[in-house]
Amino acid sequence: MSQDGKPSSAGAVAGVDALSQDLLAHALAGVHDPRDRKSCRLASRAFARAEAASRRSARPLRCEALPRVLRAFPSLTSLDLSACAGLDDASLAAALSSAGGTELGVRRVSLARASGVGWRGLEAMVAACPRLEAVDLSHCVAAGDREMAALAAAAGLRELVMDKCLGVTDVGLAKVAVGCPGLDRLSVKWCREISDIGIELLAKKCPNLRSVDISYLKVSNESLRSLSTLEKLEEIALVGCMFIDDGGLRMLCAGNSLQSIDVSRCHHVTSQGLASLIDSQRFIQKINAGDSLHEIESCFLSKLSTIGETLTVLRLDGLEIFASNLQAIGDSCKNLAEIGLSKCNGVTDDGIASLVVHCGYLRTIDVTCCHLLTNDALAVIAENCRMVECLRLESCPFINEKGLERIATHCSHLKEIDLTDCRINDEALQHLASCSELEILKLGLCSSISDKGLVYIGSNCAKLVELDLYRCSAITDEGLAAVAQGCKKIRMLNLCYCTQITDAGLKHLSTLEELTNLEMRCLVRITGIGITSIAIGCTSLIELDLKRCYSVDDAGLWALSRYSQNLRQLTISYCQVTGLGLCHLLGSLRSLQDLKMVHLSWVSIEGFEMSLRAACGRLKKLKLLGGLRSVLSPELLQTLQACGCRVRWVDKPLVYKG
Amino acid sequence: MASGTATNADPDQQTVRSNSVEQFYFPRPGQSLPGIPPFFGPPSSSLYLANDNEAKVGNQLEPNPSQSTDWDPQAIVSNLTFLEQKIKQVKDVVQSMSNRENQVASGSCEVAAKQQLITADLTSIIIQLITTAGSLLPSMKNPLSSNPAVRQLSNTLGSPMGFGMNANQRPSVDSKTDIPDIGKASGYEELINSLNTTQDERDELIKGPNPCGGEGSEPTPMEDHDVKESDDGDHEGENLPPGSYVVLQLEKEEILAPHTHFCLICGKGFKRDANLRMHMRGHGDEYKTAAALAKPTRDSGSDHAPVTRYSCPFVGCKRNKEHKKFQPLKTILCVKNHYKRSHCDKSYTCSRCNTKKFSVIADLKTHEKHCGRDKWLCSCGTTFSRKDKLFGHVALFQGHTPALPMDDVKVSEASEQQQGSEPMNEISRSMGCFPCSSSDGISNLDMKMADDVRGYYSPMSFDPCFGALDDFTRPGFDISEDPFSFLPSGCTSNNETSRVNKGSNVPPLGLWKWTETLSDFSH
Repeated sequence: MSQDGKPSSAGAVAGVDALSQDLLAHALAGVHDPRDRKSCRLASRAFARAEAASRRSARPLRCEALPRVLRAFPSLTSLDLSACAGLDDASLAAALSSAGGTELGVRRVSLARASGVGWRGLEAMVAACPRLEAVDLSHCVAAGDREMAALAAAAGLRELVMDKCLGVTDVGLAKVAVGCPGLDRLSVKWCREISDIGIELLAKKCPNLRSVDISYLKVSNESLRSLSTLEKLEEIALVGCMFIDDGGLRMLCAGNSLQSIDVSRCHHVTSQGLASLIDSQRFIQKINAGDSLHEIESCFLSKLSTIGETLTVLRLDGLEIFASNLQAIGDSCKNLAEIGLSKCNGVTDDGIASLVVHCGYLRTIDVTCCHLLTNDALAVIAENCRMVECLRLESCPFINEKGLERIATHCSHLKEIDLTDCRINDEALQHLASCSELEILKLGLCSSISDKGLVYIGSNCAKLVELDLYRCSAITDEGLAAVAQGCKKIRMLNLCYCTQITDAGLKHLSTLEELTNLEMRCLVRITGIGITSIAIGCTSLIELDLKRCYSVDDAGLWALSRYSQNLRQLTISYCQVTGLGLCHLLGSLRSLQDLKMVHLSWVSIEGFEMSLRAACGRLKKLKLLGGLRSVLSPELLQTLQACGCRVRWVDKPLVYKG
Repeated sequence: MASGTATNADPDQQTVRSNSVEQFYFPRPGQSLPGIPPFFGPPSSSLYLANDNEAKVGNQLEPNPSQSTDWDPQAIVSNLTFLEQKIKQVKDVVQSMSNRENQVASGSCEVAAKQQLITADLTSIIIQLITTAGSLLPSMKNPLSSNPAVRQLSNTLGSPMGFGMNANQRPSVDSKTDIPDIGKASGYEELINSLNTTQDERDELIKGPNPCGGEGSEPTPMEDHDVKESDDGDHEGENLPPGSYVVLQLEKEEILAPHTHFCLICGKGFKRDANLRMHMRGHGDEYKTAAALAKPTRDSGSDHAPVTRYSCPFVGCKRNKEHKKFQPLKTILCVKNHYKRSHCDKSYTCSRCNTKKFSVIADLKTHEKHCGRDKWLCSCGTTFSRKDKLFGHVALFQGHTPALPMDDVKVSEASEQQQGSEPMNEISRSMGCFPCSSSDGISNLDMKMADDVRGYYSPMSFDPCFGALDDFTRPGFDISEDPFSFLPSGCTSNNETSRVNKGSNVPPLGLWKWTETLSDFSH
């Protein structure tokens, strides 16, 4: 084995070469971070070979790489093509056929938002992957019955997600139902053409269905009658089904396998319907009744005790809930792990107290916009729910550092806290910094937060992944320096309207190698220099928002096109860029799929035309000024459309400066 | 007979002719299809004449009069042997085709031509089979008239090749000489008499310069009004005892006149209600009062009026009061629709498909609503007027799926299927009418077109013979020996072979079962 391995510089690596591939693969299985795996690969060819042989999943970012990926990783079972830029029928079919004629072992394929893939590509995929079990086609808005017919050839399919495949009708669903009788998970959310007839056939043809999502469909109770014949049905989502009412829920009462039901936004579902459902389905674990019940009635609350042992998730967003209701819930459901009371009127400190006193296992508490809550509620949560991991407190204006101090001292597991629009200060951050597990911190609109607070965070929250500083206008470059210093794992950072930030701050941020999403709207002081440092440093960048960064010019775009090869989503509206920079950007960024460029008044029509031509095979979403619709060449627009690109035209006047 | 009648110019003349011919073609209420001949010899021969290759065979298989009265096992055996050989030939061809398909990519026009050839062969085999089985018929001990199943069988057997009898649609040159003399059976006696009486006339018609050739080549439209028949006033559940109602029989002219107001006493029709009221004065003094002459107020005296039912003026029709099992029609509208649908020419042609003809304009309008674009098609080729009917069908049969609308983009299986189906459809058309009788029991399937035979006898009651028979006319509908297990429609390459095999396994006696099924439905 070591004979073809190059003589290594370090003796330790030579030792690695001597190990068997199985052992190396086993060792690699313990390495989860893709960056660490890359380091291993780079350190030794033996590792590279071991990984190639054992790798199970891949997520290619460009379709040019797809054939190589398929050849290099023969034991691939999961293929995520959702971020694969420029993927279309021809490239998918070619890549799959170039895999050497051998049958691919791929079982799961994600084609979410792969708008360029149509039925030809799917047909090729199904033919090349005989063991296909799961396909995700969500948000392929152009997909229709023909695509489903192609998929239906995959007889072994068990999971199918086709959310927002707008062209799919009952016929397409019937194709899938007949072709894939073993289906056990199906989501047809937003497929508005599907009706009761299709669902009825689905229930007849796919008896093994366990999870069904028919959210936002125009279906009636008849669909629920059909679905109730499914003996294994465990999960059902009916979000926003306007024609479903209590009668439908009563039909679901047959059998007792149901574990999760989501009736949020079903305006015709009432407490009685849910009560009758609970009455017969004794093992329900999750109920989401947000924005549906008009009021919470005692019949529902009293029935809750029958599923008190199993119920773990209860979401009642948007309801009128009083302390007595919360007490009844607390009395019945001792095992609750998640409670959702977002936008519930009438939630008070007393109500929260009576709930959490009994529910010691709560991990997620969502009290977004419960305006009446004060520090007392936080205190009682801290006292009773030591396991709490997620606290959503957005727009609870009476909460301050005192309450958060209690939380921080008692709830050491806290991973996520949303304090958007809560008037907290640096002192609160000082307390929160003691939660070293913190991963998500949202501080939007907390204008009293300053660099000092961020220094606290930076000093202790090393695991922070997401930080939202939207409109924290007191933040300056120093704060960013502290965060960038202490929180190396940050992936998502929102700095919109923190107008004091300059290029120096971005220089600090450029040390965040894992940063993927960066929003910097209206940072008027940053220029191409700052963007350049970001582009060079943050190589993982996927999404970048530079809207209204008026000082950003072509230099920034040059840097982006040179270094940010992973960039997928970009907003450069109002930036001071020219056609040349735009051309270069669009010509070079091979992963770019979503581009918003409104009000680029320095770019000429030719500039738009040329740059779009350079990228039209890859773009999926485009936001442009409406005035350009008539001046851009029709061929270009047709090509864009043919490549699966959707253009959003903004109706604002066209202004030229160049 | 004057040559003028031969050209079919005089509608009255034609009506008279069809009267005498058709009165036996409608022995039961459900059977509304025109021209079901009661025996099989002549029609089959005429069909074979149309097909040059098979003409000799057809003649060979023709039961001659002496054979048909006494069952000749020798002849049957020889026929069956011939069938065996024929089937084997076809099988070889198909096998060679399937072999070749494995090697070369399918879809060449050569394959299509061969498929066409095979379909033609298979069709002829089936017809011979039926003919052979049919020759058993007259040997039945029971008098035919008392055995509905036999009558039914004879009807159904005749119908697939029923051109000769189907009101001069096909030249049936030698039909006269071939009429078997089976006068023992009373049902036949009448029929043959009537046939003989009309024979001259028909021959005349055929010898005419243009014996309605266009009409003959067209597929016989007989399906839509079957569905409609139910509103002819077929009140199965009514069962008024005879004599409990007044029977009124309107004259043909009255029925066909564009009247909308009818005298409840004598049935005379009027265009205007005022004229009717004037007419009513003749029926007695009670109609002369000012109140009666004034505009009618509804429900006045309707309760004490005697129950009135109507009779069709067409002698021999079950709706005619002379009929043994007379079933009255409920309203004048029923009479009008019934008469037009059953005893009149279909003069309204759908302008969209140019195929379907109707005698009642309302039927045409109903059809035009569904004709063309909103056809719901199953992968087996069956079409439905409504989506839920299609989905009900798909739910019932394994492997069937709703078919996507045929676009030119779909190249692989769809085009193959279509290629196969073209010759098939042709044949099914040239074979004309399958026994589509009443709408009883099938209205829930809502089938259309001539190929609706399938749904007609609800899939549950198929026997292998019918399945196989149907299989020839309906490509892509992969029926296997077991009527309940259908192959998935994807495997088109094997279809041809399997069809042939199925065809060879069909026992001729299966026809009897089929007949029973049929008669079940016609009650």
